[in-house]
Amino acid sequence: MDNIVIRANNISKQYRLGVLDFTSFKEEWKMWWAKKTSSRNHQANADFSNERDASEKWLWALRNVSFDVKQGEVLGIIGKNGAGKSTLLKIISRISLPTTGTVKGKGRVASLLEVGTGFHDELTGRENIFLNGQILGMKKKEVAEKFDEIVNFSGIEKFLDTPIKRYSSGMYVRLAFAVAAHLDPEILIVDEVLAVGDAEFQRKCMGKMKDSAANDGKTILFVSHNMQAVRNLCHRAIFLEAGKIVDEGNPENVIANYLNKETRQLLTREFDRLSTAPGNEYITIKKVMLTPQYPTGIDIVDIRTPLLVNFEFWYNGEHDINLMCGVHLFTVAGECIFDVSSQKNDFTNGLIKGECLIPGNFLNDGSYYISIIFVKDSSSVLFYYEECLSFTVEDYREDIAWYGKWIGHVRPKFDVQLHQV
Amino acid sequence: MKSSKEWDWEIKPVQSGWRLGLAEIIHYKDLLLRFAERDLSVRYKQTIIGPFWNFLQPLLTTIVYVVVFGKIAKISTDGAPPVLFFLAGTIIWAFFSDCFHSVQYTFISNAHIFSKVYFPRIVVPLSIILSQSIRFLIQFLLFIVIYLVYLFYFKNVYPSWYILLLPFLLLITAAFALGLGLIVSVFVAKYRDLESLTQILLRLFMFATPVIYPLSIIPEKYKIWFWLNPLTWVLETFRAAFLTHQEISFTNMAVSLVSVTAILMIGIIFFKEKELKVMDTI
Repeated sequence: MDNIVIRANNISKQYRLGVLDFTSFKEEWKMWWAKKTSSRNHQANADFSNERDASEKWLWALRNVSFDVKQGEVLGIIGKNGAGKSTLLKIISRISLPTTGTVKGKGRVASLLEVGTGFHDELTGRENIFLNGQILGMKKKEVAEKFDEIVNFSGIEKFLDTPIKRYSSGMYVRLAFAVAAHLDPEILIVDEVLAVGDAEFQRKCMGKMKDSAANDGKTILFVSHNMQAVRNLCHRAIFLEAGKIVDEGNPENVIANYLNKETRQLLTREFDRLSTAPGNEYITIKKVMLTPQYPTGIDIVDIRTPLLVNFEFWYNGEHDINLMCGVHLFTVAGECIFDVSSQKNDFTNGLIKGECLIPGNFLNDGSYYISIIFVKDSSSVLFYYEECLSFTVEDYREDIAWYGKWIGHVRPKFDVQLHQV
Repeated sequence: MKSSKEWDWEIKPVQSGWRLGLAEIIHYKDLLLRFAERDLSVRYKQTIIGPFWNFLQPLLTTIVYVVVFGKIAKISTDGAPPVLFFLAGTIIWAFFSDCFHSVQYTFISNAHIFSKVYFPRIVVPLSIILSQSIRFLIQFLLFIVIYLVYLFYFKNVYPSWYILLLPFLLLITAAFALGLGLIVSVFVAKYRDLESLTQILLRLFMFATPVIYPLSIIPEKYKIWFWLNPLTWVLETFRAAFLTHQEISFTNMAVSLVSVTAILMIGIIFFKEKELKVMDTI
C-alpha cells in the first residue's frame, strides 16, 4: 500500500546572513526595483539569482531536497548541526517558506519542534495545558477530553492551579511533554525534543511514539542526534549534509554512513620515508593500524566490534635489546582505561611487528585514543608514541526502550544473576 | 482511501494573500478565544486591584484632561459635560491605539511561538482585537454609569437614536486599527525603525483627531481633512449619540466606511502574503 502523505519536491531554502540595517535596506530596494523594471526580462532575473548565489551574504540551508513519505512510515532525518535538518522540518511544518520547490501533503500535521511552546509563566498549569494544546492544534474539546490523561501522565496534580513560573524546571518539562504526548495528528513532526527530560520520561514518550506509528498508522518525521533512537524508531532515514540529501534508505546503513563520515577516525598511519617517520635513535615507526573486525557486515564500530591494533617499527640500535611494548588506551578526556604490555623479548636490529586485540563487548560508547610505549629492560622508556590512533565506538542496544547515555568507561558483557529467595 | 493525486495542502515559495482561509480561521477559533482570554487574564496578574485598573486608567486620564484641557486651556466641549466629553474621547482613543499598538507587535511578541508552530497567524491580531473590545466594553460600562448620573440627575445630556450605531462605531474603529496594525506589523518585524516612528505618529495622530476637542472648533476650510480620518466620524457620532443635539453626516459615514474597508483589505492581503516570509527576518 504505497499511500504517499508527504511529497517534498526540490525544496531549497536560502537565508540571508549578517545584520539588517541601512545597507541591507538599500540592497533590497535596488533588487526590488530591478525586479520591477525587468519583470519580463528573464535574463535579468537569472543574473540576479546568480549574483545572490555568488554573494557571501546568502546561504543555502537546503538545496534541492526531494523525498516522499508514506503513510505510517517513521522517517528519521540525521546530519550534523547546521546540515539543514531543522530548516527542513520548519518548511514542512509551514513555519518558514521554501525559497524554491513545493511540499504537498495529506492530513493534519502537528509539529513538535520544542516542548511547551506558548507556555505562559503567569498562567496556571491547568490554563497552560489548554493554551499549549490548542497552540499545537488541538481543539478545546479534545484537550478537555484528554485532560485527565495529560495530568496523570505529567504527575503534577498537586500544582495544577499554581502559576507555572513557580514550577521547577523538571515539572515544567513534564507538563510540556504530557501535552505533546497526547497530540493526535495524522502526521507528527518531531525535532530533537528527546534531548530534554529525564530518562524515565524519554522512555515513556518514545514508547508512545512507537505505538502510534505501529498501531494507529501515524506518519512521523523525526530529527535526532541519538542514533540509537533513530535506529529503533525509524523505518527509513535521510542523511543531510550541507543542505543536501547524501544518503537515504535503511536506517542501519544510513546511520553507518553518517557515523563514518562524522567521526574523526584515525585508523591508519603509515610512513614511507624514514626522515618523516616518528621515532628516535632507537625506534622508528613504520606503521600503526587499527582494524575493526566487523561482525555484522555493516562497517561501523559499535560496542560489539573487536578492534585489532597492529604496529610495525624498526629497532635501530646496534646491540641486541630486551624489549617490551605497551598499548595504552585513553578516553578523549584523557583518562587511561587500560595499559597492557607484551612479553619481554630479545630482539636484534631490524623490523619488529606487534599486535593487540581489543575484544568486542568491552568498551563503552565514546571516543578513544591509543598510545604505544616502548620499554627497554622493563625499566627505561625508549620511545612513547602518543595519541597515534583515535577512534569512536558507537552505541548499540537491543530491545531497550531507554536511550540515555550508558555510564561507565567499559561495558563488558557478563551476566548479573537474579534469584527469587 | 484517497488517491495519491489529491493533496490536502501544498506549501509553495510564495503565499497568496487573496486566499483568506476562513475555514482555517474557524478551525482555530478555540485558539483565538484562548489567546484573548490569556491576554485579558494575564494583564493584571499579581496586582492588588486587578481588573479595576480597567476603570482607573480612563478615569485618571479623564481627570487630567478635564483639568488641563477643560479648566486651564478652556477648550470647548460643545456644551457637553466635560467629564463625559473627555471620558468618551479617552476610551475610544484608547481602544483604537491599544488595538493598533498590540497588532503592530504581532510578530515581535509572538516570535517564539511563530518559529515553532504553525497556525494561521491572523488568529493573533484577531484575538487582540477581541480582547481589546472586551476591555472597551468594560470601560464603556463605566461611561454608562457616569452617563446615567448626568442623564437623570443633572439632566444636561441628550441621547438620540444614533446610540444604535454604537456597534458599527466599534467595528469601524477596530477595523481601522487592525488594518493599519497589520500593515505596520510586517514592516516592524523586519526593520524596527518603524517602531519608534509609529510611536510618535500615533501621538501626533491623536492631536489630529478630535479626541480632546470637538470638530466644531476647527475652521470650516480645514474640516475636509479631518473627515478623511475615519476616527473623526466615530468620535463625533458617539458624542452626538449620547451627549449633544448635533446631526451626523451620512456622507462622511460612507467615506469612513469605504476608506476603512480598503485599509483593512490591504492589511489582510499584505499580512497573509508575508506572514511566513517575515519569520526569516525577525
